[in-house]
Amino acid sequence: MALTHEEVRKIAALARLRFTPEEESLFVDQLGKIVDYIDQLQAFEGASEATSSLPPREAEDRPHECLPRERFLANAPAVLDAFLLVPEVKGGGEDA
Amino acid sequence: MPELWELSAEEVARRVGAREVSAVEVVESALERTARVEPLVAAYLEIFPEEARARAAEVDRRIAAGEPAGPLAGVPVALKDNLSLEGRAVTCASKILEGYVAPYTATAVARLLAAGAVPIGRANMDEFAMGSSCENSAYQITRNPWDLGTVPGGSSGGPAAAVAAGGVPLGFGSDTGGSIRQPAALCGLVGLKPTYGRVSRYGLVAFASSTDQIGPIARTVRDAALALTVIAGADPQDSTSADAPVDDYLAGIEDGVQGLRVGVISGVGGIGGLSGAAERNWRESLELLTAAGAEPVEISLPSVDASIAVYYVVAMSEASANLARFDGVRYGRRSPEADNLLDLYVKSRSEGFGAEVKRRIMLGTFALSSGYYEAYYGRALAVLERMRRELAAAFEKVDVVVTPTSPGGAFGIGEKIDDPLAMYLSDIFTTPASLVGLPAVSVPSGVDERGLPLGFQVVGRPFEEATVLRAARAFELQVGWQAAPGFRAAAGTRETG
Repeated sequence: MALTHEEVRKIAALARLRFTPEEESLFVDQLGKIVDYIDQLQAFEGASEATSSLPPREAEDRPHECLPRERFLANAPAVLDAFLLVPEVKGGGEDA
Repeated sequence: MPELWELSAEEVARRVGAREVSAVEVVESALERTARVEPLVAAYLEIFPEEARARAAEVDRRIAAGEPAGPLAGVPVALKDNLSLEGRAVTCASKILEGYVAPYTATAVARLLAAGAVPIGRANMDEFAMGSSCENSAYQITRNPWDLGTVPGGSSGGPAAAVAAGGVPLGFGSDTGGSIRQPAALCGLVGLKPTYGRVSRYGLVAFASSTDQIGPIARTVRDAALALTVIAGADPQDSTSADAPVDDYLAGIEDGVQGLRVGVISGVGGIGGLSGAAERNWRESLELLTAAGAEPVEISLPSVDASIAVYYVVAMSEASANLARFDGVRYGRRSPEADNLLDLYVKSRSEGFGAEVKRRIMLGTFALSSGYYEAYYGRALAVLERMRRELAAAFEKVDVVVTPTSPGGAFGIGEKIDDPLAMYLSDIFTTPASLVGLPAVSVPSGVDERGLPLGFQVVGRPFEEATVLRAARAFELQVGWQAAPGFRAAAGTRETG
């Protein structure tokens, strides 16, 4: 299945990515080839119900004490007191 | 007398525990060897000699005080740059994590430290573990010590090159679709991907959460078994870690393969475009295992042909979700140019991620997007379910399944970088065990026509690492692989000193 420039731009917007025109052309070509390859999945017979034998059992997720907040904030690009600083939220399109 | 850096992890720990040699001396030898070979190989993104010396001194102090030495006492190790060690940088070889410092230590790494191991540096990798050549690092290209014009494999190419070049007997990486086994094969080493859930992933930066596993890269099967015994086991910090009993993986490792039923996938020689020498090596490998007493049984796994397609849909879908967290807000790179929040996300990500990571995020976003979800993600899960059933049926007839690890030996630097699909197809033999969560080990099986290493893969039932390692050990003895680190300079001359 060939991908169009418009489709690649739409996927990029969903993925919060933006490309130069050169990158976009390259991705149209490369992603198209990869999608062509994975299209072979349509020819394989699938199975619908999950078996219980092989997937791992997940342990119960119990709450426990977290590391101190300062330890995590130390990695933040911009902080004000105990808060993360970000630019203005408004603008940049309907899904900003 | 071998140099200290040439010793196996098992032998280092024995000598350090018996006070025949100090951990400080072993680490000094590892640092000296690393300093000699690193300008050629570029396995590390960062080496921390002072911290390593201090940890080694602490191991010596504990032993002098009569405390237990630990099963990896004084063993220098390389850590892939996606494993957290508190206070040290973790970048996943990506610009987007430049400057990030781990606020805590990964459970697997904490277990290594408690066992007396001494990390000497952060090893290079494909960015976010996405690649099969280590060329996708945002920082440097790592070279295969066997031939400096070739890749070490990936994504754990840094730890593999570090071990193959001789500095350390053990490296630790992560394997999502073959990222431990393939570089181990290309560097003439043993690489073990444990069962999904066998090793805690707390502190491992996530790529594809349904397949990621941490495991060792070693020069010998015994060292891989020793390393697994240390890092395996349930962890309350990782709810996907399994509460299954941990074996002493060295205990029955010499018991051989007499009567072991070994599954051989029908038509496997024709899968993945095995090169001539690799095909010959594969047939000889099977004969060697049979000569050791194993019983080959032909099995049918038709869905294996779809494993690359399934893997790239499932793993990239998960990656697109996992990597959504890198947005310039909480950690890592923030674009200085942003006018508003959406702009901050888009610019930070577009400037911070490399081409392969963007390609995979795009592929995953596409497979999960409205209108394509059922046709790609839904379909891939259905075929994966078929694969699970076929493998479960096969494991009723056999104890292990064997395949080549990779379609050929190390390829040239730059040879596949412009053809992502060709690069993906080199994972054909490793992805099924990842997708189904089975333990798998790659063990050296000889060399190709250029003298570069090839690997043989043994896959087992869930949590039967002991069987997989026993078969790998028997095979290693049959092959008579030289455990001594190989190092061939670019001119083709061999240098081991």
